[in-house]
Amino acid sequence: MPTNRLVVKEEVAAYAAVMFDAANEAGGQDAVLEVRNQMEEIIHLMHSDMDLSGALSDTSYAPEQRNALAHAVFAECNPAFTEVMAVMAERGDADLLNRVFAAYGDELDTKLNLCVVDVTTVVALDDNLRHIIIEKAEAELGKKAVLRERIDPSILGGIIMSVNGKRIDASVISQLNNARHVLKETTDGGEC
Amino acid sequence: MKAKLNKKLAKAGAAAAAAASLACAFPTLAFASEKEGIAVLIPDMNEFIPMLVAFVIILVILAKFGWPVIDNIVTKRENNIREALKKSEEAQIESERVLAEYQKQLADAKAQSAQIMAEARATGDAVKADITAKAQAEAADMIAKAKVAIEAEKKQAIADLQASVADTSVDVAARLIGEDLTEGEHRQIIERYVKEAGSFNAN
Repeated sequence: MPTNRLVVKEEVAAYAAVMFDAANEAGGQDAVLEVRNQMEEIIHLMHSDMDLSGALSDTSYAPEQRNALAHAVFAECNPAFTEVMAVMAERGDADLLNRVFAAYGDELDTKLNLCVVDVTTVVALDDNLRHIIIEKAEAELGKKAVLRERIDPSILGGIIMSVNGKRIDASVISQLNNARHVLKETTDGGEC
Repeated sequence: MKAKLNKKLAKAGAAAAAAASLACAFPTLAFASEKEGIAVLIPDMNEFIPMLVAFVIILVILAKFGWPVIDNIVTKRENNIREALKKSEEAQIESERVLAEYQKQLADAKAQSAQIMAEARATGDAVKADITAKAQAEAADMIAKAKVAIEAEKKQAIADLQASVADTSVDVAARLIGEDLTEGEHRQIIERYVKEAGSFNAN
């Protein structure tokens, strides 16, 4: 397993480029976005399931066994993702998936001039809202924006938008928490 | 010297005794004739002359032997008395000096005791003032601390109450928003928030 940081960085970039190119050749932008979404879900899954992440990186298994395991686990995913993930597992690089995801975002940015905006709301977006959000994101980021929508009732209302680590939290729950904080911090009310 | 003096006195005594016995040898002569009138006052020469002789003898003997002794005794006595007077004067002077010294010491002692008393009183006053000041300072400090503690507890109680009210208010608001808003109202909120929201580049 390589430990040199530059080597690892190149490997990560190679995995992301291969995954991106394969998805793009197979299905264009939709496939590319599908792979991105699947990769994000797999990352969440591996964070919550240590057995899976441990098994994919476990050197007590033979490389072929890890490859077969990855194929079996990610059989339902886009083939571009499944194949690259299987190679990563075989080479003992499954724990680099987070960095591959970030590099994949860079590929999206550089090769398609595209950014994915994660949007969280309480209700499903209609076309008007999508248009407004995309317009705002494209105007600010200077590139084509694609929304990835998610419904989360816990935010109570409003919207949370995030892209490439940048985040706009305009949710009701956030504003209520701010109001709660302000109410708790205000102390001159008790002096009268 | 004393023996010599006794011897002289013995000699003078013996002479006086002889003169006396000589004078006493004529009383019968003296009282042999009886007189009357003024003649009674005129001494009888038969008696007078022996008595005069005896007197002179006794006077001479006494002047020769008795007087020096008496004079010596008187002189010595006088010297003793003078010396005693001198000593008594010296003693008196000494006693006066000692008395003055004692009086001075007594005065000094009184002054010293007065000074000690004054110092003790001053020290006592200072200690009393110091203790009083310390007690007042401690009391003031305790009061100040108590005030601070009360103020802190008051603020904490107000903060707790405020936090509780804030939590309750926000929970009620969250429940109302979550339950009462329709999808259309949610979309309106989203649209307004997107338009009013800050920039990605600001984060």
